[in-house]
Amino acid sequence: MEWTVAELGASGVEIRIKGDCDLYHAPAFARDILGGIERGWRSVRVDAAELVYLDSTGVGAFIRILQALKSRGGRLSTRGLRGAPRRVLEMSNILALLGDEGPGEVRR
Amino acid sequence: MRPLVIRKLIVDERNELFDAQGMRLAVFPSVYERIRDYAAEILADCPAAFREGTLLEQQLSEILKNGIKHGNRRDPRKKLRVWYDVRKRARFIVEDEGEGFLELDAWNEFYRRRQTALHEEDFDTFLGMAGYRGPRSDEEDGGNSLIAALEYWNGGMIYNAARNKVGVVRWFTGGSGT
Repeated sequence: MEWTVAELGASGVEIRIKGDCDLYHAPAFARDILGGIERGWRSVRVDAAELVYLDSTGVGAFIRILQALKSRGGRLSTRGLRGAPRRVLEMSNILALLGDEGPGEVRR
Repeated sequence: MRPLVIRKLIVDERNELFDAQGMRLAVFPSVYERIRDYAAEILADCPAAFREGTLLEQQLSEILKNGIKHGNRRDPRKKLRVWYDVRKRARFIVEDEGEGFLELDAWNEFYRRRQTALHEEDFDTFLGMAGYRGPRSDEEDGGNSLIAALEYWNGGMIYNAARNKVGVVRWFTGGSGT
């Protein structure tokens, strides 16, 4: 799993994630993003167009990020979620809470 | 208002999902770092239509993880036994050597309250209890695997009386599973 962070203004970031957000990689991802929220991020947009695998540890990471932002008056949104990762979030009843902007077009 | 959907984890020692006749058996040491390798090995001959991208591998990995992490406590001396059959549907029986899922009833109650909050659109309460925390949970556990599993395994998800063995099946219609 790889992720890159691009700043969008004073307290906003877009995080592009790629690969497998799984039991081996999601904890480090969560720690990194939660650290950013501690430092002042309040608007976090996750571009998940290149996310191919998401498991319950990854879902847990999204929940912890969402909880951290909500408790600070912030906002999480996602875009590009599709396929199995989108289905996992749907089945976990979490997708509706993410401010999801839809699966978007397939990036080539 | 959202429909109220409450499913339950069920204990039924005599359930037909525990009939392993005709199924293949794989036995693995409880090595946490190899969970996804084990799932890939089991699914090596699985039809592509059953895989639904990475969804089947992910759902199987969750069950293997529960057995290795929570059941066998990552003790590599303890075995995880997996019976599997992916010829006409995806069917698995996974047994660990642990003391069983002792918090099963508490989890069902957590799930009922969580789903009720969702039904009532009480999102603050729902988000506050978005993840289950049992006495042996760590910060990476969320109970989310079981929530999704109850929907994914559309042919059933049953525990044995000792609660250290789970049987699951997913039927597919036109490869979509819906």
